Amino acid sequence: MTARTWIGTGGYVFFLVAAAVIAASIGGSIERTLIVFFISLIAVLGMGVYSGNSGILSFGHLAFMGIAAYLSGILTMPVAMKKVTLANAPDFLANAHLNFFSATVVTVIFVMLVALVVGIVISRLDGSSATIATLGLLVIVHGVIIGARDITRGSQSFFGVPRWTDITVAAGCAVLAIVIARLFKDSVFGLKLRASRDDQLAAGAMGVNVRMQRLISWVISAGLVAIAGVLLGHFLGAFSVKKFYFVDTFALLAMLIVGGMATVSGALAGAVLITLVSELLRRIEGGIDVFGFQTPTLFGTTQIGIGLIILLVMYKKAGGLLDRLEWDEILLPRLAGRQTGPAASVVEAPVVALEGTLEAREITKAFDGLVALDKVSLSLKSGEIVGLIGPNGSGKTTLLNVLSGMLPETSGKSFIDGADVTGTPAYRLGGMGVSRTFQNIRLFSSMSVRQNVSVSALDKWPLTKGRAAGAIVDLALQTMKLTEVSEVQASTLSYGDQRRVEVARALALNPRFLFLDEPAAGMNREETDALLEDLKGLRERFGMGILIVDHDLPLIMKLCDRVVVLNEGHVIAEGAPQSVQKDPQVIEAYLGKKGSRQVAEILTE
Amino acid sequence: MDVFIQQSINAVSLGGTYALLALGLAIIFSIMGMINFAHGELMTITGYALMYCGLVGLPFVIAAPFAILIAVVAALLMERIAFRPVRNSSGATLLVTSFAVAVILQTLFQNLVSPRSQAVILPDMLAQSVHFGSLSIGINQILSITITLVILVLLNWFLRHTILGMAMRAAAEDFSITRLMGVRANAVIAGAFAISGALAGVAGVLWVAQRASVDPLMGFIPVLKAFIAAILGGLGSLTGAVAGGFALGFIEIYLAAYLPDHIQPYREALALGIVIFLLLLRPNGLVPAFNVGREKV
Repeated sequence: MTARTWIGTGGYVFFLVAAAVIAASIGGSIERTLIVFFISLIAVLGMGVYSGNSGILSFGHLAFMGIAAYLSGILTMPVAMKKVTLANAPDFLANAHLNFFSATVVTVIFVMLVALVVGIVISRLDGSSATIATLGLLVIVHGVIIGARDITRGSQSFFGVPRWTDITVAAGCAVLAIVIARLFKDSVFGLKLRASRDDQLAAGAMGVNVRMQRLISWVISAGLVAIAGVLLGHFLGAFSVKKFYFVDTFALLAMLIVGGMATVSGALAGAVLITLVSELLRRIEGGIDVFGFQTPTLFGTTQIGIGLIILLVMYKKAGGLLDRLEWDEILLPRLAGRQTGPAASVVEAPVVALEGTLEAREITKAFDGLVALDKVSLSLKSGEIVGLIGPNGSGKTTLLNVLSGMLPETSGKSFIDGADVTGTPAYRLGGMGVSRTFQNIRLFSSMSVRQNVSVSALDKWPLTKGRAAGAIVDLALQTMKLTEVSEVQASTLSYGDQRRVEVARALALNPRFLFLDEPAAGMNREETDALLEDLKGLRERFGMGILIVDHDLPLIMKLCDRVVVLNEGHVIAEGAPQSVQKDPQVIEAYLGKKGSRQVAEILTE
Repeated sequence: MDVFIQQSINAVSLGGTYALLALGLAIIFSIMGMINFAHGELMTITGYALMYCGLVGLPFVIAAPFAILIAVVAALLMERIAFRPVRNSSGATLLVTSFAVAVILQTLFQNLVSPRSQAVILPDMLAQSVHFGSLSIGINQILSITITLVILVLLNWFLRHTILGMAMRAAAEDFSITRLMGVRANAVIAGAFAISGALAGVAGVLWVAQRASVDPLMGFIPVLKAFIAAILGGLGSLTGAVAGGFALGFIEIYLAAYLPDHIQPYREALALGIVIFLLLLRPNGLVPAFNVGREKV
């Protein structure tokens, strides 16, 4: 947590408390409107914890809200009342009579358990598929509530819930929700999840268990939404299952989207704006008197209004009004994301990696009919720099992808220090000391350079403390000469600097085996020479083994102890750079038969 | 056994409609990465077109193609007016935009036509049925199954043998490369919306033919099901969409037929629950799209 987090959170709390105090002193319909606003805000913040950080929209959160409203309603309703309205309810529910607080706790825990079960499925799905699955969840829960007539009164009105939600309770819960939402976003969980939102594959390679992070945020967000459900039920007193279906989903999604779902400030801004607009439009809906003319009654004016606002915002600013910045980042841009604790600038002495070997045995990878790798074997010892070269399409990147766990091998085995790691997912290989960079840069584009590097530095969190991770980040940034730009958004850097961030991010995973996929691509001679020195320095300081793919042969020849040449998925040569350079098969692979004859002639002359 | 055959025919008929809808969604998704929530409203528009044609007294043989044409035009307009400004945005933006369009259209239908369900005049023949032994099959079911099959065959031919069709298949695999090959993005996307509109139109006619009424929310639920069918099949895969549509049709009809009475209220929830369970086994769907897991790294 940084000073920024606390200042930002303090700002929200001040705003909410001020609004509550003003509304409570005015009372009447303003107070009621504000209670509804607080409840919506809690729900939107809850949705934002999942959707905002993971980038996956959810339609399913209203289902959790519904479950919470019904369950807490049943738990708090007087027993005598239940005998009449819910005559067939099972005994443990019919006889339950809890106070507001314990009913809320029981409900939130129950909803989080439900979310855990559902989340195990949904976290396996990506992007749009996950969104549709949440849609399925909403329909399922809607159906179940209607079906479970004995305890929910089906599609009829569910009434008799004590009206315990007042402005103090609503405001208190809203403050709690906004603090949780912001702390989550700025926590290690939030950081990792947002990394996966920006680039799922790269996050995996940097040790992030994307499914697990999604599941955690899903369950927490369900818990927050459940609080909103409890409050809503105890505010309305009577409601029907329609309250937890598409109309309200639409309104809440609008709040989330319009302000900008990536930020907590965005959720707040969206909730304020949509609440104001809906209040205004609701008054016009029934027909109003404009200079003596009575406007006709229009169905769903609110809906159309919200719809148009969404369209307008999407056309002008697809990320929402606040896009990716919190209010404090807009108003106080210079407040850097420093640690609140004592300065973590003491860079620890570089840890020289333990001795070790990575070995691939007869790896075969086939894409349907196309065999990209055919029984390729390769080994990499710590402290060794191995070059992997070959013409385009020879399988170099595919081999890196298999070795780093991003693609499953068709057959063959890989070992780290003799232990079989075949089929280990990328994020776990990351933890075992395998790290990589990407050929087509895959940074977490919305995040700062420091945050990019922190994602991998925090791989072992909470075993590695935040401060130790901060030192790792500083070291990686210093090593790649990025300290100056550490607070800059990664996607705004120059191409060469972005490549350096890639290497720094890979370094922060403390790798024993580092794969570099075309680190010199697009660099000029001078930059390449500088890179050469940096890479040599890496080995001396950290002692890891480096497997480097590049088309810059002078770089490879100067840097590597050993070179492996791939052609059409086969290893055609392996050995010291000088010997490989003269290998007729290698020359033929690069230049074709005719070209190789010419070269042979020149060499023999 | 007869009941089983009867129900299977119902399943093919319902599944066929889901398949047409899911196919329309999949075509748009595969090219633009967009989940078009307003697809259902194209179906509803078709229904209203049929209703007005009936009121004017147009014969069904003319009214049906006309209504489908209206759906195509509506789809093209939707793309041009609402979706083009956000074309290159993230999936979430596209989805929210289309969700907003859907809600706006629903509200417009409520205000411009009627919030209530309206009767659609249909030829009497559609309500009749043919008997084979103890089996009785509705004319509209026969029609529905035949039309679905014809459309699937035609679409398959179109995608494989016409320039636009091939461009669309190429765009579904890699839109940016396809554009580099000189294919115009506007043409491909408009083509995709036209086809998707036509599919929604056909599905709309088939839906109305079985129910003889139309209401502002008519398209919403079937398209919701079609979304589910599309992920069951494998989002972005056209074959998958058809497979998913039929699979969902069978699941729903068999549950309706064979579930004990006291569980019947949970039928829909159960059907979707089964789908989600299937997804647990095959997260990429029954027939995964070509580019799933092939993102270039």
